[in-house]
Amino acid sequence: MQRADQVLPRSRTSTVLHLFSSVGCCFFILALLCSAKTLQGQNDEAGIRLLQNQCLDCHSGPRADGELDLSVLIKQRPLVKEYDIWRNIFQRIALGDMPPADHAKLTVKQKEAFSNWYTSAIYNFDYDSVRHPGYEPVRRLTHVEYQNTIRDLFKIDLADVSKFTADLSGRSGFENSANTLFLQTGLFEKYTQSAESLVSRLFAPTAAAPLIRAKQKLLKIENRQLAGSERAREIIRRFGNRAFRRPIQPHELDDLLKIFESTFQQHGDFDAAIQKPIIAVLVMPQFLLKVESETSGFEPQKISDFDLASRLSYFLWATMPDNQLLRLASEGRLSEPQVLSEQVARMLSSTRARALGTVFAAQWLGFDDVGIRRRQDPIDNPWCTETLMEAMRAESALFFYSLLRDNQPLHRLIDARYTYLNEELARHYGIKGIEGTKMRPVRLKTTKRGGILTHASVLSVTAFPDRTSPVVRGYWVLASLLGTPPPEPPPDVGEISAQVLNRDDLSFREKVQLHSRNPQCAACHQEMDPIGFSLENYDNFGRWRSRQYGETIDAQGQLPNGQRFVGAAGLRDVIVSQRMDDLTRQMARKMLTYAIGRQLDFYDEAALRKIVETTRQDDYRFQTLLMAIIESYPFQYKQQFQSASE
Amino acid sequence: MRKTALRISRRTLLQGTGAALALPWLDIMKIPRAQADPIAGLKRGSQNNRLAYLYFPNGSAQGSWQPEKIGTDGSLQKLNRWMAPLESVKQHILVANNLWTPRGNGHGAGTATWLTDGGYNERKIQVTGRSADQIVAHRLKDQTVLPSLELSVKGEGHFSGCLPRNSISWRDAGTPLERETEPRSVFDRMFRTSETSAIDRSVVDVVLEHARQIKRAGSIEDQRKIDEYLESVRGLERRLDFAEKQTQQALDNRQVTDTLTRPQPGIPTNHQTYVRLMLDLIVLAFWADATRVCTFMLDHGQSNRYFDFIPDCKGTWHALSHYRDISGRTEDDDGKTSWNTVTSKRDMYNRVTRWHHSQFAYLIKKLHGIREANGRTLLESSTLCYGSSISDGHNHGEDNLPLILAGYGGGSINPGRYLKPKRATSMSRMHLAMMQTMGIDIHRLGDEEEPLELL
Repeated sequence: MQRADQVLPRSRTSTVLHLFSSVGCCFFILALLCSAKTLQGQNDEAGIRLLQNQCLDCHSGPRADGELDLSVLIKQRPLVKEYDIWRNIFQRIALGDMPPADHAKLTVKQKEAFSNWYTSAIYNFDYDSVRHPGYEPVRRLTHVEYQNTIRDLFKIDLADVSKFTADLSGRSGFENSANTLFLQTGLFEKYTQSAESLVSRLFAPTAAAPLIRAKQKLLKIENRQLAGSERAREIIRRFGNRAFRRPIQPHELDDLLKIFESTFQQHGDFDAAIQKPIIAVLVMPQFLLKVESETSGFEPQKISDFDLASRLSYFLWATMPDNQLLRLASEGRLSEPQVLSEQVARMLSSTRARALGTVFAAQWLGFDDVGIRRRQDPIDNPWCTETLMEAMRAESALFFYSLLRDNQPLHRLIDARYTYLNEELARHYGIKGIEGTKMRPVRLKTTKRGGILTHASVLSVTAFPDRTSPVVRGYWVLASLLGTPPPEPPPDVGEISAQVLNRDDLSFREKVQLHSRNPQCAACHQEMDPIGFSLENYDNFGRWRSRQYGETIDAQGQLPNGQRFVGAAGLRDVIVSQRMDDLTRQMARKMLTYAIGRQLDFYDEAALRKIVETTRQDDYRFQTLLMAIIESYPFQYKQQFQSASE
Repeated sequence: MRKTALRISRRTLLQGTGAALALPWLDIMKIPRAQADPIAGLKRGSQNNRLAYLYFPNGSAQGSWQPEKIGTDGSLQKLNRWMAPLESVKQHILVANNLWTPRGNGHGAGTATWLTDGGYNERKIQVTGRSADQIVAHRLKDQTVLPSLELSVKGEGHFSGCLPRNSISWRDAGTPLERETEPRSVFDRMFRTSETSAIDRSVVDVVLEHARQIKRAGSIEDQRKIDEYLESVRGLERRLDFAEKQTQQALDNRQVTDTLTRPQPGIPTNHQTYVRLMLDLIVLAFWADATRVCTFMLDHGQSNRYFDFIPDCKGTWHALSHYRDISGRTEDDDGKTSWNTVTSKRDMYNRVTRWHHSQFAYLIKKLHGIREANGRTLLESSTLCYGSSISDGHNHGEDNLPLILAGYGGGSINPGRYLKPKRATSMSRMHLAMMQTMGIDIHRLGDEEEPLELL
């Protein structure tokens, strides 16, 4: 791969790269941004002209190289609509990957001009000029939400979603995005089977005591004098009000009552006849889908109190609103600022809010894969039990939830001195004195543990089945945790050669380093690898180790800016002292995405920046972040698009 | 209606009980061979034909797809050692060469666009439109109880929750079809018609009416989602329609008393048992005319399943596909498997491919063993495509994809040959030809207007 013509450009870009990788690309861009301010306005179209002259030959038309059609991209307005693509273009040019080696190089001046244009036109774009709250489209409940909603509706955990086709996740990383939640006949049939089976269990003549109690609650109405249709109407009304998460409408009630009556008139058996409208409710769109109240016109509108109740409950609890939320909504008081913040505080103190750990954090950080997609062969590894893997997931989920509940500062996610353990997990960690299966908060005396980076859950999902991967862990920290992924590998990247891998004279670390020395790969690996290597004291399932492949673990890291650190403790310090803004922004981005159930779009940037700023000003408190999301424009408002493609 | 008697007799069978896991009926139900060649003279496609796509991931090693001996007329005279399981059915297949995908060959994008006419947009999670199988299914949707059937083996390991790697059928650009993985669910979707249910027509009518009201009130974005809901309920309604139509006929056809077994719940632990059961269900679906369009993903687009049950095979499929690296230390590897030579690793990769060939051969034989009332075997009425979106797994090539067509398309395919277009040919042309064997009037897919000649 050594080409003479690369020598000069490489040394030139290396200064850029040095900046780039040392403190993360945001800071790099910020640095450029400051220098560019003075030039702003001088070259409005300079970047576009450069692309037109230098890049369009290969990158245009339906067969554009890399499927990047610049002729379309440069015509889009606002340009920031495709922010990610622009950022990639900018990175490619800054790194010198593009134009490719067999094309004319850009001069230093051209590169500078492009940076300046990028900074003012893309990075520094005035997002207030495109203010839009977005639109949360109708979507079905996720399987977890369905199961929880059935549980809270009937006050007993009745649903079995194990037969449902698994929810897949797309780019948002969350299962609750409308654009990855599909509803097709196969699943609809499973909903009908589920509804029939749970109602028949509830009404079975030989039901167990908890089922009988649940049935009694379902059929209980205030006026005991009512019978027949009158009684049915009252039962359906009470049930419908909760199942639809808003007052049931008269025509809905009438239609459901008709279903009752047609059966009741045939058989005269009240219990048999009332089952049918209840089953019907459970397959109606008002129940299965998250439908918000009607919007009219194309102006931004504040969402209704009932919609707010559902948005809150599915965000914080992953289930339906409880009676108190529905009552406040019906009184029109839920959106009052004082009431809203009281309710959020109440909701966070409920155990249902653990869903923020078991669903939100688990999907954000990926630890829901433990035991499902990540596990060890139980024959070779008898220690890797279901209960251990459950404890691993629970540790991270409970830990995350506790930070929120106790309104800790965000950096505690990284450097907390406590965690949640039970006996089996404590043994996995080599911590003594914890007995029993119950998970409990434990103050940590060892520096080997503490903070999410040292959780076995996270350490195992960022490893391969039988060994660690410093690259994957490094990438996970940069991309998933901090939201600053390194650029994708260049299109023609080489791979680790077999000769290197088979050399006995090199340690594992040296082999990876040798690979990373390839100039095309170096920039990003210099950022990823030291992070991953600093976590090498944790094996592929998060156990502490001091040796691997017969070598003592070398957990030293050095960032391209020269800063040295050692082990997880060193990494914690680096993140807490240098990367808090990235962490805050990433948490805000992920949590807002989850809260509104859609991928963020370019116009959400203004809201995002505001959430980050509010959080920063209040010492990075968890609940401040959460409240800022709830108060944000996209959470509180919605606005229809004129056409679906927008 | 066509073939009613035969179809209904099987419906009656379904009410019987049995205990075996496999479906034993396939061998019992043969009807003696007709004298004349039932497909002679037929040249055009027909909507009564069947269409199946079988996808396998990770490609196939360079050279493993090249027949050993080809006659001067292009006939397949001898396949190679890795294709041996197909040797006994080679008169029924077309081995394709020189077909490529213009849409990307990666494990994600390549899988998602295997049947589409354009590329995959990762950000929007979208392809460019309806996939070939769904174009056909949509045109035929009122003729069978299920417009199409989407099957998949249950994924293992990393990427098994990743949307593009698990989606080859798209109802529209943004809607991949969900895939059934449990044999019993597949069976029930075809034959649950006769069961009584609280969800009867009165309930379905209420449900549909309310969905329409919500749709009228919603925004454009909402309407798309409500349409999806409506479509899912209509599937149920279609089942009710078919049940009503067929109940009386079912009663009339009690003479066949053999049993047909509903598969056990859950996923069989033996992988071969599992795959063959799914293939049996495809045969059953085509035979019972429960659907005419089926897609089956033999694994997700980057399967890292272990095929240790094949003798002399170790490591995961995806790792094996990168056979030139034998260190066992790359990012693809599991860390405990390494290999001695590139040749031995490539052989293991080929053994996995060969194992899949024997499953495909099994399907071909089963389909050819069943004769319908029109005198043709199911295979003679079928168009099958089996293959991958990657050519050589190590190079991730997009040229010369491993693809095999099988069946006769009711006379619109002439198999037993090596199909080698002179120029590199887009897979879209193959899709066009396949869709036309289904009697579908379609003359353009993506950039292509000329169907591949299959006769």
